[in-house]
Amino acid sequence: VLSWLETTQLAVWLGESPSVWAFPTILTLHTMGLALLVGASWVLDLRLLGISRTVPLSAFRWIFPVVTVGLVVNVVTGVLLFIKNATVWGTSLPFLVKMSLVAASVATLVPIRAHVLRGDATGSRVRFWAIASILAWSAAVTAGRLLAYLMV
Amino acid sequence: MNLAHLHLVMNHVPTVGSVAALGLLLLGFVRRNDHLKHAGLELLFVIAVLTLPVYVSGVAAHRELEDRSEISDDAVRVHHDAALIGFTVTELAGFVAWVALWQSRRRGRQAPGLVAAATVLLVVALAVMGRAANLGGGIRHPEIVAADAAAPAGEPDRFMTSAISEIAVNSRWAWPAAEAVHFLGFSLSIGVLLAVNLRILGAMRQIPFADVHRLLPWGMLGFGANLITGMFFFVGQPGQYTENPPFYWKIVFLMIAGANFLYLTVFGKPWRQADGSDARFDAGAADKAMAIASIAAWLAVLYAGRMLPFLGNAF
Repeated sequence: VLSWLETTQLAVWLGESPSVWAFPTILTLHTMGLALLVGASWVLDLRLLGISRTVPLSAFRWIFPVVTVGLVVNVVTGVLLFIKNATVWGTSLPFLVKMSLVAASVATLVPIRAHVLRGDATGSRVRFWAIASILAWSAAVTAGRLLAYLMV
Repeated sequence: MNLAHLHLVMNHVPTVGSVAALGLLLLGFVRRNDHLKHAGLELLFVIAVLTLPVYVSGVAAHRELEDRSEISDDAVRVHHDAALIGFTVTELAGFVAWVALWQSRRRGRQAPGLVAAATVLLVVALAVMGRAANLGGGIRHPEIVAADAAAPAGEPDRFMTSAISEIAVNSRWAWPAAEAVHFLGFSLSIGVLLAVNLRILGAMRQIPFADVHRLLPWGMLGFGANLITGMFFFVGQPGQYTENPPFYWKIVFLMIAGANFLYLTVFGKPWRQADGSDARFDAGAADKAMAIASIAAWLAVLYAGRMLPFLGNAF
């Protein structure tokens, strides 16, 4: 399956097109999506840890559409980047570690969203999820960035 | 006009500007006038932002002079080392000045400790930058350099900038680690700036602007982390950047982002005290334009930065 993915027309175009609108733009969109996704998540985490605690939690609901946009952009661009070198990524341990960290980070959004929708921002449980979210995103971004150096 | 020329045009900004900022601050202390101190802090932050292109264009000038036999490479390197220290202290002073401005906007009065710390750092910055400027003048002006003060020849690795470059090129982990921090830094900055600017554009209208504004130092933290890691890349591998047009675009957009930090901290209109009086604050057209410009500038910084290898020749 991995090698078939690499031979699809789309993957070949991504790998061989010299245009800056091909691979470079996909990579840059992936970076922008990352900034939206991680940045917006962190802002919410900071609020849950007590920064700007006078702001009602309901005011932070705008975070979720922003996070969704970032997530969709990065899933789409991530899949494109993946199929370009599917045989390399699909069999690489560092890549699987990164994907696990991303999955863990996204998973922390689920209980956090539930807390925000309930308007319940106090207690050690919320703080635990906020800290877990900050750390998981940090680890995911770091792992993603290090792929460029581990996979050469 | 090339970048060496730009360096000659701008290189007096850090020293002359610092004298002016220091004058305002000292006058503010003597007259016990907080407005003067405030103006001094604002000017200091502007100088810190402007010092970035001064330093970057200086490194570009350095590379253009490398092949000229009539220029002493040692003299340039000594100047570059001094300038890097001056740049660092100036940025630190600008950072403390910004924190003092933010704090005074938030509390409605200045924190004397922060203002004093910014002033002390400014004095140090002025001394170090003055030395750098003096050494820089000596590169092309033999008439002002004493004969016995000619820069001694020596091994390149006794220079600080060469040592940083050595680490950047040879260490297995330094560059990747700095890249990882750089990515975390921009995520933090963009997340916070997005929250603040979306509030100006009308999201979260029911909450006081002051409370969103509380997040801003976290954005500045990311900005600072990225200035440090970014300068590590730049000093480590200047050739990747000085001949790379997107890099200069990135610097321009970074300065817009820096101006936005100052705008959000200094101007009173979009922002009143934390007593809830701005709870229904509706931004004017200028505020909204600034908010859109800031978001656009951050995306442009990301675009130019990520596209450096593709539009230009980095890496």
